Amino acid sequence: MTALVRYTLANVVLSQRYLPAVLVFLVVLVVFTGADSGPLLPVYAVSAAAVFACGTWLTVVTINAEDPTQRAVTVVNAGGSGRVLVASVWVAFAWCVFLGVIGLFYPLLTGHHRAVPAEFALGAVAELTSACTGIAVGLLCSRIVVRRTGVAVLAALAGIFAFLLVPGLPPVRSEFLLLAGGRPASAVLAPAVGFAAVAVVLLMGMSVLTRYVARRKD
Amino acid sequence: MRLQGVGKRYGDGAWILSDVDLDLRAGDVVAVAGANGAGKSTLLRVLVGLSRPTVGDVTGRPTAVGYVPDRFPPHDRMSARAYLTHMGRIRGLRGRQARRRADELLDRLALAGGADTALRRLSRGNSQKVALAQALLVQPELLVLDEPWSGLDAEAHGTLGEIITELGRDGSRVVFTDHREAVTAAHAHRTYRIDAGRLTEAVTAAPARVELRPTGDDPVALADLPGVTGTQERDGTVTMLVDAEHCDAVLRAALDGGWSVMAVRRSAGVLR
Repeated sequence: MTALVRYTLANVVLSQRYLPAVLVFLVVLVVFTGADSGPLLPVYAVSAAAVFACGTWLTVVTINAEDPTQRAVTVVNAGGSGRVLVASVWVAFAWCVFLGVIGLFYPLLTGHHRAVPAEFALGAVAELTSACTGIAVGLLCSRIVVRRTGVAVLAALAGIFAFLLVPGLPPVRSEFLLLAGGRPASAVLAPAVGFAAVAVVLLMGMSVLTRYVARRKD
Repeated sequence: MRLQGVGKRYGDGAWILSDVDLDLRAGDVVAVAGANGAGKSTLLRVLVGLSRPTVGDVTGRPTAVGYVPDRFPPHDRMSARAYLTHMGRIRGLRGRQARRRADELLDRLALAGGADTALRRLSRGNSQKVALAQALLVQPELLVLDEPWSGLDAEAHGTLGEIITELGRDGSRVVFTDHREAVTAAHAHRTYRIDAGRLTEAVTAAPARVELRPTGDDPVALADLPGVTGTQERDGTVTMLVDAEHCDAVLRAALDGGWSVMAVRRSAGVLR
């Protein structure tokens, strides 16, 4: 699995298709959270939302970096499409961790916040929730599920907006409302961890669904 | 390895493969010939496990499988050596082992432009060599090649033939497709024909070498019969090359027409 993850990562990095997603993330972070001196949690809600959207984008980029024929060769060499998919999920997760770490520290370095450990922990839980949900949406919009690029872009946008805007749809929107609600971090940490768990389960479910749909198309 | 009653279709679409039976024993080299769209590539995808059959069973597929696709997409910034090293590691080789094996194979296949060229800068023939090399990093027990001769230069043609022969001798199963009878006959032990998704074993395509002597004074002329591709006379014996499918008819005509059959042999296709 290490070799497969390494290859997948090398392929995305060399394709340079990660650049737009990472740049958009950095711009959003600088514009909305830089040199801020208000409360920290709403700032983390913004950076987690950016991780969510860019995580979806990076997941699609990671999987689509391989042409279908090239992927077929990788699948045969790896001994199964499931392993290749799991490697892609790990690489997408690594991208999200990279963005998430920047999202957690950048506001602290440039703004004037008094960081409480509980707030920092809540921010990390929110980034995790966003990462898992973003990857889950990205998997279903990747080429192994949706062959046409136009349809995939529309599906990804629909997925991102649905999770951000539809009231009552867990886990990211509920997570952001907790962060922006003005309650102390220690009080909302427990439900936040609950939403993160929902996101992890969602990611696992969508991985299984992606594999099922992809196998039907093969 | 065995395919039994294998059929494949997508959704409610037409059957791309139907009722395919195929037995592959260790050491078998099998060619599949057929027109474009006859189902060759789908059969190969089923063989290597990329596609699951809609009906039927595939049993006994070995673990070490090599797959060489028809068209290897070269729009990749990774170098040939780096790509092969990654594939070797994915196969379970150590980094150094994988790199050495990659260099060996690229040397043998004579990759033009060198191992450090980015895949997307390679010509069609050279990217086909990389595609071939990735399937051979670990000795495959089943090697499946889709139109492997197309795009390769003359020198690589010979090397590919050698590699296939060696693998067969070492007990690997090799399956390849090609639309040219001459190629399939030269390299395969068995040839199958695929037409509209149905697989049938083809009659051996190698021509027969027939030696005849006249029994009377006035034997009928045979050189213009269908299937006769060459005749030669020496010391009263006439040697003819006859296409396998017409051989019976030509022999019958010869026996009826005042000839005696001295010998019938499989031939390499040339009269000496």
